[in-house]
Amino acid sequence: MNELLTRRAILGGFGCACCAGLAGIADARISPQSMTPLITSGYRPTEKDEQGLWHRYERVEHEIAGSNLLVQDKALASYLGGLAERVGGPAAKDLRVYVAHIPEFNAFIAPTGFMVVFSGLLMRMRDEAQLAGVVAHEAGHFLRRHHIRGWRDLRNKTDVLSIAGMAAGLGGGATGVYLGDAVQLAEMGAILSLFAYSRQLEAEADAMGLKLIGQSGYDPTAMPETWQQLIEEVKASARMRRKRPRRGYSLFATHPAPASRMADLRASSREVTGGTGPQARGRDRYLKALSPHRARFLDDQVKLNDPGASLYIVNNLAKDGWNGLLRFYEAEIWRLRGQKGDDARAAQGYAAAIDFPDAPPEAWRNHGYALAKTGRREEGKAALARYLALAPNASDAPMVRFALAQ
Amino acid sequence: MGRRSVILVAVSSLALSACVQTRQYTDVDFQPPQGDYSLIVMRPDVQVGSLTTAGLVEPRADWTEQARANVLRALREQQAGRGGRTLVMERRDEVRGIDAKLVADLERLHNAVGNSIILHKYLGLGLPTKRRGIDWTLGEDAVRFGRASGMDYALFLYAQDNVASTGRVAMQVLGIAGCFIGFCAPQGGASQTAFASLVDLKTGDVVWFNVLQTGSQLPGVAFGDIRTPQGSAQMVERLLGRMRAGRNVRARQQ
Repeated sequence: MNELLTRRAILGGFGCACCAGLAGIADARISPQSMTPLITSGYRPTEKDEQGLWHRYERVEHEIAGSNLLVQDKALASYLGGLAERVGGPAAKDLRVYVAHIPEFNAFIAPTGFMVVFSGLLMRMRDEAQLAGVVAHEAGHFLRRHHIRGWRDLRNKTDVLSIAGMAAGLGGGATGVYLGDAVQLAEMGAILSLFAYSRQLEAEADAMGLKLIGQSGYDPTAMPETWQQLIEEVKASARMRRKRPRRGYSLFATHPAPASRMADLRASSREVTGGTGPQARGRDRYLKALSPHRARFLDDQVKLNDPGASLYIVNNLAKDGWNGLLRFYEAEIWRLRGQKGDDARAAQGYAAAIDFPDAPPEAWRNHGYALAKTGRREEGKAALARYLALAPNASDAPMVRFALAQ
Repeated sequence: MGRRSVILVAVSSLALSACVQTRQYTDVDFQPPQGDYSLIVMRPDVQVGSLTTAGLVEPRADWTEQARANVLRALREQQAGRGGRTLVMERRDEVRGIDAKLVADLERLHNAVGNSIILHKYLGLGLPTKRRGIDWTLGEDAVRFGRASGMDYALFLYAQDNVASTGRVAMQVLGIAGCFIGFCAPQGGASQTAFASLVDLKTGDVVWFNVLQTGSQLPGVAFGDIRTPQGSAQMVERLLGRMRAGRNVRARQQ
């Protein structure tokens, strides 16, 4: 998740290199028990390079804290802050969490310990244990000082490379031997090793995160589950578009492939025994904190025009039980896809949604229109009237009143 | 051509690649501020980094703080010399009576407007309807901000100075020394990038815009080090010292 070094930054630094034919290099699994935090509570950098990095990110945090993309909700913020404190290990008091209103599965942490979680990620989480896994993974980057280690790796490798390149050039110039091919090969090796290092840090954060959530009493299997969900979602999205899913792995990946991450996390989660209490999932707590936003976040997803992924997400969330909100958005996905037979599927969904007490008012409106389309005018009018009763000030209320008067 | 003249040509072309460049654009009716005026500097962004051997920029906190203090002092002195009163805004919430959100909105708007000025005025994608001077505005928000703060002008300032590390200087030396044995690989060294954008808070228009760039491929050559008071004063002078009046104003003066 976290873009410690973006692929573009690494490739851009050297000019694009192509190397499709190389066999994959397997990154070894890191045992959670081997992961210990490298910093203590209240950590402040003491070395020049890390101080510089922190200094720059202080301004970035100022920028993010004042961003109009943030979800403004004090209760949600304090809930996430509390969660970070529970799984943050020695950094418990040093982490800050911001929620960005962006419908994508992503989260990142800055070197100074502030985290940004995207709304699309919150929307996909089934319970607190899954979210705790993500937060703990990010905390793992902070606890293991990944930013500065990544930067030093980049700096040292590029230093060596440029010195070697210069030496080869000078040596070649003096002796008349062309060493350009050797230099290019060395560059390629260095680039690949930078990506491999980045993947190793991600694997470390996974292992560290797993250990942290185990210690805080969460069910450790929640972490591999999150990856399982992501893999299935990508497949479902591709299937509906009649495309092949992306393999999600290459030598130029900054993150390990989801499938290998999931396998490693699964193996590791067996090594992590839960804390003293029962292994918590915390679903009710999570849904309560998210409830003011869940409808809006689902709405964002549905409007991404990716029905395969959206259906997978809704169905996955419904594994914990269907409700009016999920049924309504299931119906919305079909309505927005609008292919042959989709209107009937949507109508079924709206009809199912209104059976739940938490059905959003829009479910009644759309149910009403769907009934009217199939000739059941009186029932449709009753449903529309119900919509107006539930949402008398809706922006489209005058239009619905007009429809009722016809 | 003898060997000596070849070297001469090589060295002089290298010298050409070490240079200071500024390019300013002004509103056609722009009159450089003079006399009794007030200027607010919007969260100036001054950064100093060290160039690693390979040429990556490593930010340095201590140098940055030092340079920032020096640049702001130099700016205050320079403006005072023209009669201006300078207020530096460090945080968005520190100007009394002004919502931090308004400041944030203004900054983001300027960011977008500044980028399009750079795109259409500096990067060659000229717009046929905006040929003369600069014709961009931050609009009503900036006017509201001016009324609330009581300021005449807002200045947006960014400066980045990259200092060549010892390793980088060594690479530069080798790169040029190589020319003598047929492997010429001049390396970029110390460099500065800065821009300043002046907004008239009475109208909301961006009335003056300047970009400064210095760079050198010669080892040991830099064009002022903004960590020092002299270097900062030099940079501020290059960036804001020779403000040109707008085209219409100059025409009237002639």
